[in-house]
Amino acid sequence: MLNPVRYIGENFLRWCHDIGGLVMMMGKVFINFAPWKLDKPQIWRNMYRVGVKSFPIVVVTALLTGAIMVIQSGLYIEQYGAHGLLGWGAGYSVLREVGPIMIGLMFSGRVGANNTAELGTMKVTEQVDALRALAIDPISYLVMPRVIAMIVMMFLLVIVGDFTALLGGAVTSQVLLGVDMKLFAWSIVTYIELGDFTHGLWKAVAFGYAIAIISCHFGMNTSGGAVGVGRAVNASVVGSAIAIFVLDYFITFMVL
Amino acid sequence: MANESNNQSAQPGLVARGLASIGAPVLEVHRTVKDIFRVLWLTFYYILHGKKGERRRNEIFAQMNEIGNRSLVFIAVTLGFLGMILIFQAGYQANKITGDLQLLGALFLQLLLREFAPTITAMMIATRVGTGMAAQIGSMVVTEQVDALRMSGAQPIDYLVVPRFIASTVMMVVLTIFAVLVSYIAGALTAYSFFGLNLRTFFDLSMIGWFDINIGLVKAVAYGMAVPVTACQAGLSVVGGSEGVGQATTQAVVNASLAVVILDFIISGLGYVVLAFL
Repeated sequence: MLNPVRYIGENFLRWCHDIGGLVMMMGKVFINFAPWKLDKPQIWRNMYRVGVKSFPIVVVTALLTGAIMVIQSGLYIEQYGAHGLLGWGAGYSVLREVGPIMIGLMFSGRVGANNTAELGTMKVTEQVDALRALAIDPISYLVMPRVIAMIVMMFLLVIVGDFTALLGGAVTSQVLLGVDMKLFAWSIVTYIELGDFTHGLWKAVAFGYAIAIISCHFGMNTSGGAVGVGRAVNASVVGSAIAIFVLDYFITFMVL
Repeated sequence: MANESNNQSAQPGLVARGLASIGAPVLEVHRTVKDIFRVLWLTFYYILHGKKGERRRNEIFAQMNEIGNRSLVFIAVTLGFLGMILIFQAGYQANKITGDLQLLGALFLQLLLREFAPTITAMMIATRVGTGMAAQIGSMVVTEQVDALRMSGAQPIDYLVVPRFIASTVMMVVLTIFAVLVSYIAGALTAYSFFGLNLRTFFDLSMIGWFDINIGLVKAVAYGMAVPVTACQAGLSVVGGSEGVGQATTQAVVNASLAVVILDFIISGLGYVVLAFL
């Protein structure tokens, strides 16, 4: 059995290393924003890979999430017979909480993990060092386009996902609960405020930024060959998930 | 005119390319789903007919430690925050609309049991454990250790997937119960500190019945089976060296999370139908 003091110390040092690395990564990204030397073709390419490629999975997740939320609130609606509130009940929770969280988790699984794996493979095959040897800054060439692409695309995907989720909810309410789609739509239009929607968008931007920073940090600090890449991906998705929930709490707290 | 049609037949036209761009992903999805079901079937087969004994038991316990014990902190952090968020939102709304927080705890527990605790726990396990499984098995495939297993007469599915499958199914139930407790306590503390709601009022078990507990457990078992199967399938189908391992881990998270969402939809829908006809 491992010495408990050593175990705690090792964990503590690892946490310090990761938190420090994340802060460093934020700083480097911030500095690289300043002189506005962005590689536009790289940004477009990354936007395509990040956004368009994760479009199907976001749509599927959002459709099912909307459907599940309608089923869950349908149970209460049935009890009280308040069919007019179904759209509000499902829409409110989807727009504010569940939509951004589910899409964020999917985004971190699809894009964050992919990003870490890619950067990690480049790191362990010494392609990052090769870039440095050619006097190309890996941060501005590899990290910056990804960060920008992820923030923008997370924002756009949450907009798409919100509408898809409401569509999925409307179809489910018609098919499974027998509540008319028009009533569902009326309920959304009447009770949902613009604030509910923008609340979710604030979260989208924050999650996109967090996933980008975390996945790039763990990707650029990969060591130990192919096994190390797997470990880095694991650490990246775990960190992203924690960041999503913690950020969600604080944004909910601040924006309300 | 004739020349043009000749040109088009030489190269695939817009329609053909459009069909191809739809068809290729469909075929890919079909292949993956078929493979997942093959792994699932083989897992069940080897649970019944595989090699039993000391080695498998030890392996199952090691995997339980990996999946269960080492996820406790992660689950506690994420689900604790989830409980705080949900109660904060719900309490704020209830305060604004009716000012009546009597049912907050009871409804929260019901929603937690039915929906959030099993699903979010499973998504967290899919990210933490699924990537680990895919990376581990994937690098074994790449370094030809899986072939070596086959050479020495051990079935990779029996040797690698079955212990993970059993351990994950058991631990998912345990972790879901743990998640309910953590989330509920975090919610109770939030309700107490932000809305001054009495803890006695919050710990209200009147709304939940056997149905809620059963549907939560059914979901936990289903996710516990789905996550290792999808993750191990992604690991076992690695091609192309170390880059393939990275792709497999991504694939594992995506497939496992999608499986969780789809199963959630199916089980919730069935549960609703059962409840509507009771």
